[in-house]
Amino acid sequence: MFLRLALAAFVAAASHASPAVTIAAPAAAACAAPYLIDKTLPNGARWQMCWEMRTIEGLTLRKVVYTPRGGSPTSVLRSAALAQIHVPYDSGEPRYHDIGSLGEAAFALTSGDCPGGERRAEKVCVLDRARGHAHLKDGYGDPAERRSRQGRELVVLAAYQVGWYTYVSEFVFGDDGSITPRLGATGSLAGTVTTPRHGWPIGVGHRHFEESHSHNVFWRMDFDVHGDARDVVEQYDFSGDRTKKRTMRRTPFTRETRAVNQRMRWWRVVDPRALNADRHPMSWEINNSDSAEYRGPADEAFTRADLYVTQYRACERLATQNPSPRCRRSVDKYAGRERLTDPVLWVNVGFHHVARDEDADPMPIHWQGFRITPRDVTAKNPTP
Amino acid sequence: MRRVVVLAASAVAVTGLAACVLLLPGDGAPGGAGAAQAGGAARAAAPGPADPLTTEEIRRAAALATAGMRSHLAAGRAQLLYVERDDAKDGEGARRAEAYVYDYARDELTVRTVDLGQGRVVREVTDRGVQPPPSRQEEAHAAELLLRDPRFGDGVRSAYRRAAGRELGSAADLALRGLIHSAPRGACARHRCLRLFVRLPDGTFLDTSRIVVDLSAKKVHTLEW
Ligand SMILES: [Cu+2]
Repeated sequence: MFLRLALAAFVAAASHASPAVTIAAPAAAACAAPYLIDKTLPNGARWQMCWEMRTIEGLTLRKVVYTPRGGSPTSVLRSAALAQIHVPYDSGEPRYHDIGSLGEAAFALTSGDCPGGERRAEKVCVLDRARGHAHLKDGYGDPAERRSRQGRELVVLAAYQVGWYTYVSEFVFGDDGSITPRLGATGSLAGTVTTPRHGWPIGVGHRHFEESHSHNVFWRMDFDVHGDARDVVEQYDFSGDRTKKRTMRRTPFTRETRAVNQRMRWWRVVDPRALNADRHPMSWEINNSDSAEYRGPADEAFTRADLYVTQYRACERLATQNPSPRCRRSVDKYAGRERLTDPVLWVNVGFHHVARDEDADPMPIHWQGFRITPRDVTAKNPTP
Repeated sequence: MRRVVVLAASAVAVTGLAACVLLLPGDGAPGGAGAAQAGGAARAAAPGPADPLTTEEIRRAAALATAGMRSHLAAGRAQLLYVERDDAKDGEGARRAEAYVYDYARDELTVRTVDLGQGRVVREVTDRGVQPPPSRQEEAHAAELLLRDPRFGDGVRSAYRRAAGRELGSAADLALRGLIHSAPRGACARHRCLRLFVRLPDGTFLDTSRIVVDLSAKKVHTLEW
């Protein structure tokens, strides 16, 4: 008997409003070993999903379901995958789109690449690791009142060799319900020489100026918050500049949107009818505050927003150089004026890479990513 | 681009290009990574709706999608790039595969959707100016064109000789990775053009940053900037 990931959370959740209702017995099975990931972390938080190494997108996670300790399963994502790695060099050229066939660029991992974890079909690593303090609170002399716990996280990763670069794609699932998609770049520098204006001297003296460049990484996140219906995307802002007060402003996106980062701004995907025990709607917050926010020329309009919200279309797979016939070519074009009933989020995270001497081979990994946090998925901290 | 200049320094006789190997259902069919991984090991049950395509499903989809176009494939005019599981929501639950076929003569991409349950092509969409990522085979083909190019071929061979201490046998000796290069104007606005990363046995890379291989025109272009 294979362990199978129940679709129950998707099927059943759509039909009721409260997570308190018990999910029925497992319905159709979605995937089997070795594609099923089902991990209960020590604090009782459970993550279930299916993985697939797609020829174009590479590692793709599907049917992501979260079960907080003592709670019911709730679906989070229908799918999550890289959607492009755009690498423009500072002198203006070259400008690479590093998603070739990522599935073909994935390479076999060793046990050392996946410490203490489980390698699936050689190229995918599933492991769990420490994530530091989950919480810490003094008991003011009363040991019974003292609270301290170390957190853990589930990691699903694959590595791609794209020319001289190695990209490590991680999806990190915390025991606090958080999700962190991130991409690490390591391997070797390109060795592209430029003038001092566009580079940094590496190696001895001032002969080799390694060209600076950006890695603009796009993820495509198709949320299914507590079932596959009724997902709404909202933007939150807090007005007030050089004043004492901050006032919250909520902007629901009823139509497709190209949103940019702002200080304190964040977004959430909410199912207004899926209520937690406090009768607050369950949602997942998206925070993209770590981006270098690269903005390219007019023919690279896809660089000009940090979060795109588009109505689901099967043919819209990549943020640029979309591979589907009779479909739009890039995410800025997907985000038109269509009414949103089934939103897909495209998150653009930039990193400006100015080489340094320490980047000598093998280049130390540098990470870029964003955070997804449960907001009112449970009524309380599920693991006090 | 120092090394490109080096590569371009000598022009030479063009070696014959090995006939483009045709991959059809059978060993080495363009499977995509998922297929190879299924490994066929101990999969007693039928694949679940969210399971990747099995090697067998990919073979069947490739055969069904390319039936009736064998002559174009054999002539190298078109190529089956890869077969990818159809992830569309409307077909969720069904086992569906999408076969990507590129016609270099017409510069057209056709995606045929095969319903594996029904054993037939249920959808076909064709378009121009759409360039899905290069396949492994195309990377090899692009390297062959680079080796055949009078400006660059000899330079690649001598760089290989220096790095490996032996002669380059064929493009198969090179570690390759290809990316799509598209341009708003010029040949690559419409043709299928690849940038190639070429790793030599000593771990160095050829400087190919200004080289683009045009698979439609079977030519190598040099980028100016
Ligand atoms: Cu870099």
